[in-house]
Amino acid sequence: MTLEVVAFWGLAVLLIGSALSVVLTKNLFHSVLWLALSLTATAGIFLALEAEFLAAVQLLLYAGGVVTIVVFAIVVTERLVGERITQTSRHIVTGVVLAGALLLAVLRFLRGADLPLERPVIAVDVTRALGQVLMTEFVLPFELLAVLLLVGLLGALYFARPEE
Amino acid sequence: MTDPAQPALLALLLPACAFLILAVVAPLRRRGRLAAGLSVLFSAGALAAAIAALRLTAGMDGFSEWLWAWIPAEAGPLASVGVLADGDSAIMLVLVALVSFLVQVYSLGYLSDESMPALGRYYAYQSLFAFSMMGLVLAPNFVQLFICWELVGLCSYLLIGYWYTRPEAARAAVKAFWITKAADVGMLVGIVLLWRHTGTFNFLELLQMADGGAIPLAGLGVITFCIYLGASGKSAQFPFHIWLPDAMEGPTPVSALIHAATMVTAGVYLLTRTVWLFRLTPDVMEIIAWNGAFTALLAAVLACVQTDIKRVLAYSTVSQLGYMMAAIGAGFASAGFLHLLTHGIFKALLFLGAGAVIHAVGTNDIFRMGGLARKMPQTAIVFLVGTVSLAGVPFFAGFFSKEEILGAVLAGGFPGPFAMLLLGAFLTAFYMFRVVFITFFGAPAAAHGADAHHVHDAPPFMALPLWILALLCVGIGALFAFWHPKEEFETLGWLTPTAIVVAFAGIVLAYLVYQRRAISADALSRVFAPIRAAALRRFWIDDVFSFIYRGLMLGLAKVVGWVDRYVVDGILNVLSAWTLIAGGSLRRLQSGRAQDYVYGIALGVLLLLVWVRWPR
Amino acid sequence: MPLYAYLTLAALLFAIGFFGVMTRRNTIGILLGIELMLNAVNINLVAFARFNADIVGMVFTAFTIPITVAEVALGLAIVILMFRMRRTAIADHLDILKG
Repeated sequence: MTLEVVAFWGLAVLLIGSALSVVLTKNLFHSVLWLALSLTATAGIFLALEAEFLAAVQLLLYAGGVVTIVVFAIVVTERLVGERITQTSRHIVTGVVLAGALLLAVLRFLRGADLPLERPVIAVDVTRALGQVLMTEFVLPFELLAVLLLVGLLGALYFARPEE
Repeated sequence: MTDPAQPALLALLLPACAFLILAVVAPLRRRGRLAAGLSVLFSAGALAAAIAALRLTAGMDGFSEWLWAWIPAEAGPLASVGVLADGDSAIMLVLVALVSFLVQVYSLGYLSDESMPALGRYYAYQSLFAFSMMGLVLAPNFVQLFICWELVGLCSYLLIGYWYTRPEAARAAVKAFWITKAADVGMLVGIVLLWRHTGTFNFLELLQMADGGAIPLAGLGVITFCIYLGASGKSAQFPFHIWLPDAMEGPTPVSALIHAATMVTAGVYLLTRTVWLFRLTPDVMEIIAWNGAFTALLAAVLACVQTDIKRVLAYSTVSQLGYMMAAIGAGFASAGFLHLLTHGIFKALLFLGAGAVIHAVGTNDIFRMGGLARKMPQTAIVFLVGTVSLAGVPFFAGFFSKEEILGAVLAGGFPGPFAMLLLGAFLTAFYMFRVVFITFFGAPAAAHGADAHHVHDAPPFMALPLWILALLCVGIGALFAFWHPKEEFETLGWLTPTAIVVAFAGIVLAYLVYQRRAISADALSRVFAPIRAAALRRFWIDDVFSFIYRGLMLGLAKVVGWVDRYVVDGILNVLSAWTLIAGGSLRRLQSGRAQDYVYGIALGVLLLLVWVRWPR
Repeated sequence: MPLYAYLTLAALLFAIGFFGVMTRRNTIGILLGIELMLNAVNINLVAFARFNADIVGMVFTAFTIPITVAEVALGLAIVILMFRMRRTAIADHLDILKG
């Protein structure tokens, strides 16, 4: 029972549990909070996969930024008082069936695939390598990403501008 | 120049030019008098050319053919147009050109009350008709013949319906067109079958084949009968004769030209032209002879009860056409052709004379005329000349040709038709002199104050053609008295006296009944009451045609209409309804809600995964 | 843990997120489901990057996370706008494109 296995199982349970809570909770605000928890669990998974930089990014942007945005949106648009699950969700059975089918298909797909079992040993520092690659090979998408964020910013500003 | 085809072609093209000019240049056509002058001028030119052609053919003994290829094919052209000039066609050409010219001059006087644009239209049609008829006469093959045949029929329709605002005229024009068209179907079938039989349309080639025995006889009877059907439609043989009396709704000059001298003789002319083909099928010839004689007698009977002067002449034309056909059927086409020529002259004269009477008196009804000889002496004289020619009195134009026909029919071995024709001759003399006595002699009809026309003799434009034709009648009659074409058969000695006696018997009877009132007309009617009653109903032949048209054709049209509305349209309507229903159902997929579309995407992805990984 | 454990985890998370997208009535609830799905994708990418010793997978993740943030921002802006126009954030009521 290595640390890694224990960590994985714990994080897995946390992640799946909070994810289920996100989609099943009646109260939207609670849903957001459960999302925050699942995002944090994901960051933990990243750590288990030795991607520290991404774990940090996840925590900063996702668990911090996105959750904040969503909370604000809820405050602006919606009642917070919860209703019954059938009033917050529709066609539950169909959804379960389809999602389950999708899951089964993907899993079946996985079983037939030839996947490596052991992690290869990595000599370099992942963060450093990531930084180097971002600035050399992927510098163009990097810059375009900046443009995209600017555009997104302008767009969001325009859509959500106060009414005249 | 010695080739008659050249002036023949000129004679053909001059009226065509006149028509084209009048048709295209509308301002010229609307100036009626100017258009008339142009047409008359070109017609005179055509006449001169026709006479020149005739003189040239007199010197030569064969055919002169000029052809232009029209429908090309590998082994020579499929159809050509051109002229075929020989003795027969040249003299027919002269007849057509002469009567056409005289009628056009006459029309200047007869239609002087017409509006100018209408007059221009009339002369345009006249020129077109002249061109078509000459094209028919000069046709070197069946294709051009058929085209000109149909064109002539078209001109007949246009000219009968010249006063198209009158419903009777419009109906008569359509009736003429319908009946002749129905018969022409037979002719077209015959022509096509003949081509399949022999491989050519050309007359000269067919003549050579026929003389050389190269035409297979099996099935030829059907072909010649079909062609005869077409000819009998145009030439008003029984049962297709019903259109000719109604065609009198057209102006009288038109009746003189088309329904006496030229168009109706086209059928006879065709048979004369292709007699070498018909000689190969004696059965059909027999039919032609019997039908011709029957038509002659039937029409003569019908003419005896008519009160309209033009209708009498129309039935008389039908009757005389029957004579011509009978001679051809008996095997002596030259006799029939000769009668065609003489009949053309005196029948045109009679029609134009009747036109002068109608123009002066204002009515067609002979019982509203009377004693016109005193007021219109010129007209009376020329009309009398025409009548005695028709009746078959010696030294006038019709005598010799009618006797030839009687002789021919007897020599051909047809005693039955001979008897019919003889009786017909008697009746011909009777009914024509009936008209003469009632119209020109005797007491004038009670003058109604309101419509007392100023009765005058014919004006110069009308009188001149009348005199020309009358002189021709006398001249031809005198000519034949001293010289006649060589006969092809043995004339029996007793034939000539018999013919003369029969003719005079008719004249005497008419005199006794209508002039002297020695025999009462009513008594005669009572004696022949059933025949008279049937004749007044035209022997119900019109009714049969009317029933066929109304019952069968219109009934068929109704059925077809039903099928079109409910079956054809129904199928389309069902298809479109199904499309709409399908659209309406499919539309529910587009709910507008994004989550439903997500379902669609999910299903699609699943299907994709299954499809890709299923056959492991 | 072998690779397929992580991949299975990601698949499960994806299915749950997908369920949320399909069933939630509220538009924001749908957006939360989308977040879960994107998370699953990210886990996949990083796992593959780790087990194949290829840095590109992590680069992908480094890009998708900001892009996702921008997308959420814009999506919520639209939701707010719709709410102002129609006084509702329920997805079922937003069916103007109905055929």
